[in-house]
Amino acid sequence: MSSSINTACTTRKSRIGSEQWCRVLQADVRGDVRQSVRRRGALAFAICAVFLAGMLYAQDTDLRAPSAAVAGTPASIGTTGGGSATFYLVGPSIAIERAVQLGQDIPLTAKELESAGKYIAIVCAGNCRSVGFFVAPAKPVSLAFLVHPSRAPVGESNVVSGVALPFDEFHNLVLTPTSVDFQLTAAGAAPVSHRASTQNGAAWFRTSSGRSAGNLQITASINGVSTRRVVQQVASDPCRLQIKGQRNAKGFVVETEPVRDCTGNPVPDGTIVTFTARDAQGTDTVDAPVKKGIARAQMEGTGPVTISAASGVVMGNELHLGAQ
Amino acid sequence: MRENTSKTLRGIRSSRVLKAIAFAVAGFALLTPKYSVGADSAPRVVLNTSKAGPRAMESQTETVLLRDYKFAWANLEQALESNSTAPINGLFVGTANAWLTNAVTTQRSSGIRSRYLNQNHKVEAVFYAPEGDLIELHDTADYDLQILDGDKTIHDEHVIVHYVVLMNPGSDRWVIRQIQAVPQF
Amino acid sequence: MRRLLPIILVAVTVLLMVIGLTSVGRSGGTVGIASGSALPGFSSNANTPEQALSNFLIDVQRRNWDRAFASVERTNDSVNEQSFIQEWTGTNGGLRTFSSLESYDARPLHATDSEAQMRVRLHWSTPVGPMEDVRDFHLVHRADQWKVVWDEVPVPNVPSQVIPVNYLRWDLVQGGAGEQWGSNNVDSPHVRIVSMNAVDSAEGAVVMGEIVNEDTIPAFVNVQATLVDAAGSAIDDESSFDKILHVLLPKQVSPYRIDFPKVSLGKVKNVHIDVKATLVPASSDPVIGVMNQKLDTDAQGRAVLHGELLNQSGETVNVPHVIASFYDNNGKVVWVSDGYVQRALLPQESEAFAVEIPKSLAGKVQNFHVVVNQYSMHNS
Repeated sequence: MSSSINTACTTRKSRIGSEQWCRVLQADVRGDVRQSVRRRGALAFAICAVFLAGMLYAQDTDLRAPSAAVAGTPASIGTTGGGSATFYLVGPSIAIERAVQLGQDIPLTAKELESAGKYIAIVCAGNCRSVGFFVAPAKPVSLAFLVHPSRAPVGESNVVSGVALPFDEFHNLVLTPTSVDFQLTAAGAAPVSHRASTQNGAAWFRTSSGRSAGNLQITASINGVSTRRVVQQVASDPCRLQIKGQRNAKGFVVETEPVRDCTGNPVPDGTIVTFTARDAQGTDTVDAPVKKGIARAQMEGTGPVTISAASGVVMGNELHLGAQ
Repeated sequence: MRENTSKTLRGIRSSRVLKAIAFAVAGFALLTPKYSVGADSAPRVVLNTSKAGPRAMESQTETVLLRDYKFAWANLEQALESNSTAPINGLFVGTANAWLTNAVTTQRSSGIRSRYLNQNHKVEAVFYAPEGDLIELHDTADYDLQILDGDKTIHDEHVIVHYVVLMNPGSDRWVIRQIQAVPQF
Repeated sequence: MRRLLPIILVAVTVLLMVIGLTSVGRSGGTVGIASGSALPGFSSNANTPEQALSNFLIDVQRRNWDRAFASVERTNDSVNEQSFIQEWTGTNGGLRTFSSLESYDARPLHATDSEAQMRVRLHWSTPVGPMEDVRDFHLVHRADQWKVVWDEVPVPNVPSQVIPVNYLRWDLVQGGAGEQWGSNNVDSPHVRIVSMNAVDSAEGAVVMGEIVNEDTIPAFVNVQATLVDAAGSAIDDESSFDKILHVLLPKQVSPYRIDFPKVSLGKVKNVHIDVKATLVPASSDPVIGVMNQKLDTDAQGRAVLHGELLNQSGETVNVPHVIASFYDNNGKVVWVSDGYVQRALLPQESEAFAVEIPKSLAGKVQNFHVVVNQYSMHNS
């Protein structure tokens, strides 16, 4: 009896105000109670004391948090004491409640510990005790790779950039510094590599676009895991817009020379070229798309005409056609 | 000796009663203002962007980020207290949204609620992506965390938690994609 | 006396109703101007040109085609009732097919005992708002009656033909919701405001200018403007709504105009412009030529830019919409106006259009640029 109360008192030492309460109780049990058992009413007190001690024994428990929990790995929480209790686990993406037996370890499944972050384990048996612990991310198995822009005009400096963030299989951001290899490959050019270490979970690079239109493949790799993105290197604004025209039965056809940017890349099909023809009848305009590198428009009129062309803010030459 | 015993027992009883009254009065005095402040006060957020890089943070971005981060925490608090997923949907996407939705649904099925009261956040932007499409924040947050099973408080603690937060620009706001507590930065 | 009063009231009401109904088509606030509406009425004999025209237009309003067609004098044998009806109700999903004639105002231009010329403003209600059509009618006196001369040439049918089109399309493939973060990183198109001008007009402040798609992909664009006062408070914000070419192909330039009704520029300190551009699937066809554009004055003395739209492709454009920007001698955009063409634009065919310029600005205009919005049923 005494030892059990002793245990109860020891475990409760951390509690504010409990020591005084225990000293009083121990004094009762060792001294006064031993004498009073011979007297009337002592039995009632003894029963009361045993009941109280039992209650204290059942309610008092220490919780031991897992020392280095890792996401997706089972762990357990150690408990002391005895009796049944209600266990709660509250974490970043979970809140559970279940009945447990004190004095035994409380198993936490891998599923319950998938999210990295802070967890709080609570055990209630009359009173509630709690302990907090952290779950660390597991090994990186995937990379979030943000690359911009998706389309880059050729020949622009520092226009392409990428950020890689390693994640474990449970989508936890891995914050341990890790090396990320970036590899940039474009058709007709030697691959370029760049290594960067993650800081606060992110590694990044910045580079210039090439001189030729086409796809730029960018790969980020970490521990054998790689993610690929594609940047479309596109022609810049048209450089010289040259037009030519000739009369036909309907009026005249005007068309551009192959439309290229200043580095010689053909502008993408679909680029709009606006042809404007001015004659005595008025002004004719046609927004014609470039098809196979050339924009073409059929216009009307038989008299002398002056034709010009523009694409975006770029102007072309002027063309004069005489009367038919 | 009987007298002594009875005196001691009476003393114990009276001291217990006094203690209970004292605790009750103290608890009432302490908790009442805490609840009323907690219920009315919005999260307090201080944002420092001086260390953000490689891109320098635009002042407009800073303003919007501060506003949205504050709203996000207010919504998080509301979602976990009311066990409703509705407040989560606007400002949390991706993993953050999935985690919080899970937290709310499992809380609801377990009959648990969480309260994040008297929040203070000291936030530092540590990474701002070159194209401005990602911001990483380090948030040192302190708040009173209460966990309730039904109406019974099973956990009540003033905590200081370090959060690593990833935010993305949405159509008209910054949204939280990842929010992960760490032991230290 | 108790019963007499209600009887008098009913009798007076009936009398007034009869007077009101029989006077439709003749009533009008201004001498010499006949007007009508969709209210039911009784057509009486066409003893005057005004009465004849009024009867005719009321029949058109009521879609009483047999009587309307019977009342006209045809000058062209190719005009049959079907083509006459199509002239009023539209065809091929054009804007006219969704419109109804709400009312009209008729004014005599000149009249003799045997013939008359009447100018009519036809007020249509359409899905894009009320529209006004001005039309001159020629009437002749035959026997005891006046008749409307119907000299409209029916719209020629498009001959069967094969028009080769090398289609250029941009399709948009979007990844699933479960895609990894960062894998759907197709940027929004880059568009740029190349000019902006704010002026006061009779209806309020107008913000206008031009926008260009600098990208290599099509963009769906919308321009929003906020007027800010000296204290930094927003006075009003509006969008370009339909006064912009929403789908901008690569390197295409569009005018935009944003109206702020009942706002004076005197209060405005700043204008904030916000451009939203999103990636959309699009086609570069149909190509529509804007031919014979000329600044002129119309029959009503208004300054207009008129011309013809020529559909150079093989698909019908149901509702063509013209937007024009007007520049001064410094190349600054001084006005943007727009107008819908009521008839569908058939393949290889042309349709006339006209857009108005405020008289106060007409003298300043040195140049203009016209773009055509196209709404096609099979694309919508």
